Formats: sequence, C-alpha cells, structure tokens
Amino acid sequence: MKLEGRVALVTGASRGLGRAISLALAAEGAAIGVNYRSGKQQAEDVVDAIKASGGTALPIPGDVSDYEQAQGLVRQTVEELGGLHVLVNNAGIAKDVLIFNMEPADWLDVMKVNFGGVFNCTKAAMEHFMAQGEGVIVNVSSVMGERGWVGESNYAASKGAINAFTRCAARELARFGVRVNAVLPGFAPTELVGGLLEKDGGRGILRQLPMRAFAKPEEVAQVVTFLSGPDSSYMTGSLVTVDGGASSTLGLGAPM
Amino acid sequence: MAIAREEIDSKVQEAVAAALGVDNEEATPDATLMGDLGAESIDLLDILFRIERSTRVKIQAADLAAHIQGGIPDEEFGDANGIITDKGMAQLKQAMPQINPDELRGNLQAEKVITLFTVKNLADMVAERAEAGAG
Repeated sequence: MKLEGRVALVTGASRGLGRAISLALAAEGAAIGVNYRSGKQQAEDVVDAIKASGGTALPIPGDVSDYEQAQGLVRQTVEELGGLHVLVNNAGIAKDVLIFNMEPADWLDVMKVNFGGVFNCTKAAMEHFMAQGEGVIVNVSSVMGERGWVGESNYAASKGAINAFTRCAARELARFGVRVNAVLPGFAPTELVGGLLEKDGGRGILRQLPMRAFAKPEEVAQVVTFLSGPDSSYMTGSLVTVDGGASSTLGLGAPM
Repeated sequence: MAIAREEIDSKVQEAVAAALGVDNEEATPDATLMGDLGAESIDLLDILFRIERSTRVKIQAADLAAHIQGGIPDEEFGDANGIITDKGMAQLKQAMPQINPDELRGNLQAEKVITLFTVKNLADMVAERAEAGAG
C-alpha cells in the first residue's frame, strides 16, 4: 500500500468522483477526511465503507466556499486524524445555462464553490504542509477548463481558473516540498453532469469520444491516487487529462 | 531546554544558504538577506519555514518587519515623506546593531529598512524567540 500512514482530506466526498477518490485513497492505506456540505448520510456511507474494509475515515462537514469553514475542515482533519498529507480539492457544482440567459449569480455561485473552494482549502492547508516540508494537493478540474462547450461557460471558466491556479500554486509551493497537480476528467456519469446525459442517454456525447466510453469514477480516482502518492514524486504543475481522448479531438477527427 | 546559540547560528546559516541556493560560506553573519544575498519575499518564507523545521522556532514573515519596527507606530517611525525619524533610527540601532545611524539619517526610507537585515540579525531574533519559548 502506497499511502500507509498518510492522512488525506477529500472535499465533496459524499458522492460522485469524491466518493470514488476517497475509497481509492483508503484502499492504499490513507486515513480519509470525508468532507461533505449537505450529504451527511451519504458521507457516513462512504466512511462506513472505508471502515468495513479495515480503513480509517471521518465525516467532516463544511462548505468549502467559505474560508473559515475551509480552515475548520483542515483543523478538524489534523486534530482528529493526526495530520494532513494529501488535500484533494474535489468539491464542485454546475449550473449549466447559455450565456444569453445567464444571470450574474449563475457564474458567481459556481466560481465561489469550484475555484473558491480550491483557493480556500489550499490556503487553509498550505501552512501545515510548508511547516512539515511536504504535502500533496490534487485539484479535480475538468477538460472543460481547456476547451469550449455550449452551456458551460461558467463551469468552464471556474475550471480554467483552477488550472491556472494549479500551475501558480505549484510554482510557489515546490520549494516547500509541496506538489500541486490537477486531473482533468472528461465525461464521467455522476450527478454533476447528469444534465448533459439526459437528452439521449448521452449517446450524442459518446459518439464524440475516441474511446466510446464515459469515464468510470474509479478510473479518475486511480489517477488522483497516483498523483497523491510517491509514484508521481517529480510531478508538479501538471494538468492530467482523464478523458478517453476527448480533448485530443479536432472537430470529429474524420472523415478518412 | 533552549538550544545553544552556536547551534542557532549554524541552523540559520544553513537555512539561508539552502533557501537561496548559495554556499554556507556566502551566508555570512554580516550579509544582508535582501541586499547582499538577493532574497525575495518567497525566499524569506522559505528561510523561515526551514528555521521552523530545524529549530522549532516559529517566526512569521510579518514578524520580521514588526521586530525591526519595535512596536513604534508608522507615523512616528517615518516622517511624512516616509523617511525614518530619530525615534525610528534609535529603534533600528537596537534591532540591527551593525547599522551606522549617522550615515543613514535623513535618507533612509521606512520601506527600505528590511534591506539592512542581516543573517546575524535573524539569528538574534531566533535566539530571542527560543529563549522566550523555553522560559
């Protein structure tokens, strides 16, 4: 096990990718702070699943868009799990709407949770990491942050901000022994992207994916686990796509 | 038990040298951190966290300026043009005994005082904190 003796805090961990990431990190031996905002029961289910496999986990309530609450998450993790080595900034929301119909609150709310959460938790954890001279941050971003999609301008902008912040934070924290990377998932069928899959069961999207398959949450979680552990020791400032080839595409890449 | 002064000196020297990527011999006690050694704000942070790890003495970056200014309010520390007052200069001489007030009087900008801070001044500060912590 590659994360034995490590403590990881995963934000937005009650469902979707956050749940899968928590289980994957725990399977490598890490103790997990399972952060949630509203899904208390689901977070407790994640904790129970980890404990049932012999691991250690703790549900940690808190809204990452609020800096004081972000500080609280980090403090509680350090105090109750005995340290902090890995921060996975996963919490995110989407409010898909055409720009033409978008209200200012639609981008601000998304930005506050998605980018604000990354900023707040990074800032809250960094002193602890710098003082111990090591730490790992993995930001769960999206390929949307690098490419355009109809109806996702607010979400894409928030993820683009995360990508830029990831590179800058990597630059500032490298000399303190802290690595900062991001994973950029393509389409994983979680509740977050539910709206995109409603229309035709997602077939229209599936046809555009070179691998002709959506990402399984576990497939994204494995890359997060790699970035959280010793096998990626020389990686920082990287934006790693996990998208079945989606973002490699120019148009439909056909005919030929 | 407080750590010995020689040990503090060598830990501070090591921290400065490692953070700035210079040889230990270059980080002499008299070298100014931001002047002679070219330290920038991120370098100072790096130095302070290295010192924290090796000596367990915690100094915040903001403490440096506060230590140099010695609790004198801004408007008494510098005049309307931001030049250090006599009262300010007396405080600087305490925090940084190596300076020559006669040379600096009348043209030292308050915002520039940090550039006079040496490796030894930093070690003095760490020693002071270590003693306070141990006491």
